[in-house]
Amino acid sequence: MIGQFIDGPLWTFSLTVFLIGVVWRIAAILMAGKRPDLATPKGSAGAGALRAVFSRFLPERTVTTQGRLPLIAGYLFHLGLFALLFFAQPHIDFIAEKITGLSWPAMPHWAFIVAAEFAFAGLILLWLHRILHPVTRLLSDLDDHIGAVLVFLVMLTGCLALAQAFEPLRLIHLLSAELLLIYFPFSKLMHAFTFVMSRSYTGATMGRKGVNA
Amino acid sequence: MARMKFYCDPERCIECNACVTACKNENEVPWGVNRRRVVTINDGEEGERSLSVACMHCSDAPCATVCPVDCFYTTQDGVVLHDKDICIGCGYCFYACPFGAPQFPEDGAFATRGKMDKCTFCAGGPEADNSSDEQRKYGSNRLAEGKLPLCAEMCSTKALLAGDADTIADIYRKRIINRSASVMARGVSYRDASFRAPYSAAGKSSAKE
Amino acid sequence: MIRPKILQFDDGDGRSAGWLLLLLILYSLPLDTIAKEPISKDLPAAAVLNPAAELWRDVRQRDQPTTGSTQVRGVDSGVLINAYGDQWRKFRMQQLIPVGGYALMGIVIALAVFYLMRGKVPIEGSESDKKLPRYSTYERMIHWFMASIFLFLAITGLILLFGRPVLIPMLGKEAFSILASACKEGHNLIGPLFLFALILVFSQFVRRNIYQKGDLNWLLKGGGIVGKKHVSSNFFNMGEKTMFWMLVFVGAVIVISGLVLVFPLFGQGREWMELAHVGHAIGALLMIGVIIGHIYIGTIGMQGAIEGMKTGYCDLNWAKEHHDLWAGRAEERGEALSNEEVAQLTHNHPLPSSLGVRTQEAGK
Repeated sequence: MIGQFIDGPLWTFSLTVFLIGVVWRIAAILMAGKRPDLATPKGSAGAGALRAVFSRFLPERTVTTQGRLPLIAGYLFHLGLFALLFFAQPHIDFIAEKITGLSWPAMPHWAFIVAAEFAFAGLILLWLHRILHPVTRLLSDLDDHIGAVLVFLVMLTGCLALAQAFEPLRLIHLLSAELLLIYFPFSKLMHAFTFVMSRSYTGATMGRKGVNA
Repeated sequence: MARMKFYCDPERCIECNACVTACKNENEVPWGVNRRRVVTINDGEEGERSLSVACMHCSDAPCATVCPVDCFYTTQDGVVLHDKDICIGCGYCFYACPFGAPQFPEDGAFATRGKMDKCTFCAGGPEADNSSDEQRKYGSNRLAEGKLPLCAEMCSTKALLAGDADTIADIYRKRIINRSASVMARGVSYRDASFRAPYSAAGKSSAKE
Repeated sequence: MIRPKILQFDDGDGRSAGWLLLLLILYSLPLDTIAKEPISKDLPAAAVLNPAAELWRDVRQRDQPTTGSTQVRGVDSGVLINAYGDQWRKFRMQQLIPVGGYALMGIVIALAVFYLMRGKVPIEGSESDKKLPRYSTYERMIHWFMASIFLFLAITGLILLFGRPVLIPMLGKEAFSILASACKEGHNLIGPLFLFALILVFSQFVRRNIYQKGDLNWLLKGGGIVGKKHVSSNFFNMGEKTMFWMLVFVGAVIVISGLVLVFPLFGQGREWMELAHVGHAIGALLMIGVIIGHIYIGTIGMQGAIEGMKTGYCDLNWAKEHHDLWAGRAEERGEALSNEEVAQLTHNHPLPSSLGVRTQEAGK
């Protein structure tokens, strides 16, 4: 009963909330527009934006010299989560079945698990850093903690359901993923989409001024 | 109440592997799973013997003792079966079993084994007899049809025997007595039989003049 | 007439397989009587031997290796009989589960009794108005990283070990099976992270955990548990150092045996797996016992003990009582901060740069 609800209506609902929410948030940002810049451009805004979007994947030099573990943990978490979200066989099968109908080659099972290990190590370390470092603790609000806990829950329930043999475990994983999807558009987790806009905004502004930043 | 047992007579087994093939075909086990195997010791040497090995359906089964989720049960016929809906694929039964009977469909990293699979004495599993679920998970349920395991039923030399322990013990004893009698008759041990003195065949030929 | 002949043959040629011969001997002994009598139904049931049991007993007891060749490809597929499996079963069912379970319960009860007798060990000089920086953010991060992983692995492992006698009667088989599968998968996936945590903790804390001169004295005085007096010690006391080295060595055993179990890819057979399981279980139970004590001291056993790991700063009086040698040096270096400064550093205001450097270096 409750399983059918999680598998059917709740999934449709959460996916709808997620899609509409994300589109709405992105549209709101895009429609906010930009103040007209009357100065003569000294460089290409587009090139600056493009450069910034990709160059920001590498850490800034001052960051690398401070805490190295949080930096490494950040990469571990984001790369691991990306890999296991989009290239694990069960996820590809699920996406193909429920959303797109398209599938693509998956990682081997061991690589999926290694990606999960990276993601777990990264997330735990980052969250510990968030609550233990005086500065990040001060900067963190409830949203950060809810986001971290929800992502952790999704990962943990997924890890517990790895045997892919017990329906209740799959449903718990799906339920936590649905909660995450519903929460996603209204939180800082939106940075998964908005990082492109923030980076390109800075990049374009600076590029127009002829500054390589 | 019958107590089902396997017995493989190493003096009769010719290592034809037909029992292995029959088992795979009857139960449609996945690749990599071998519910039955034929082991040959001293292969190609003096004293070579073969034995067909599968789950021996122990009276006090070690697999059932160590299973952390208690998924094993013994039927009224003395067949040791397990419930794949309960099995978590931990592999402990494989460690405990002296015969190497428990099999796993996968053997990947991070101990991804899948659910254990083993010889069911062609008695299926806990599902309804000969239901499609039972067929898919455990293979054939010949016992429910009043038949014995296919491996033993079609053994060409009748080396592999399956059935009520009492009956098998009788057959076994008859064989042993016959062999011992032949030892007495010939004055050589059974084991030495292949080296026995030649019959007086000198000058004989199958061709007629 | 026959018996001596067979025996003689057997003695003369022990090279080739004689186990069927043994069978023959066994049956040739009462041959005269059996041969005369009608078989089976007339005999009492107890006399009916299980031929398979006879056969396998002989396979097992003969001197030769029980390994042959087979068409079936797989690790150990040529092994006819693995006698260690039974030993492993006995270890697991008759020693590990009952003894381990009672030992863990014993530790908890002993700690409860100790708590009732001693109560919470207070800071004798009561909390001072000054604090010493004890652990840096990084150190606390890796400590709690290891702690969370250890706890997860310990709980999942204990559920798998004691679930059948303890939880199945409560939950039923179906529900427990789901829980056990979750524990197994989680244990297998998170397990390797313990190695990562162990390396981080080892490299950060090893220098302060090398045994020193005063440590023997600490041990002789029972670490202050027996008497009421505090025993002098450095940054870590003898007990903490011992726990660290147990964590390193027993942890290494747990990690290595765990990797043997979780990667069945390198042709390790059942015997290796059984051995690894024994090492893994004993090591893990040992560490769980030690960590229960560790958690006891940190939570209800001692006032002020957890402060250093929680906030990074410990009370000056607590440090003087429990780690006097380190506290003395740290105070001389002027590391002591007033409670207000610490409150500023940990809660209310962003880090002033001058103090920020000091917190990063704290505890070195």
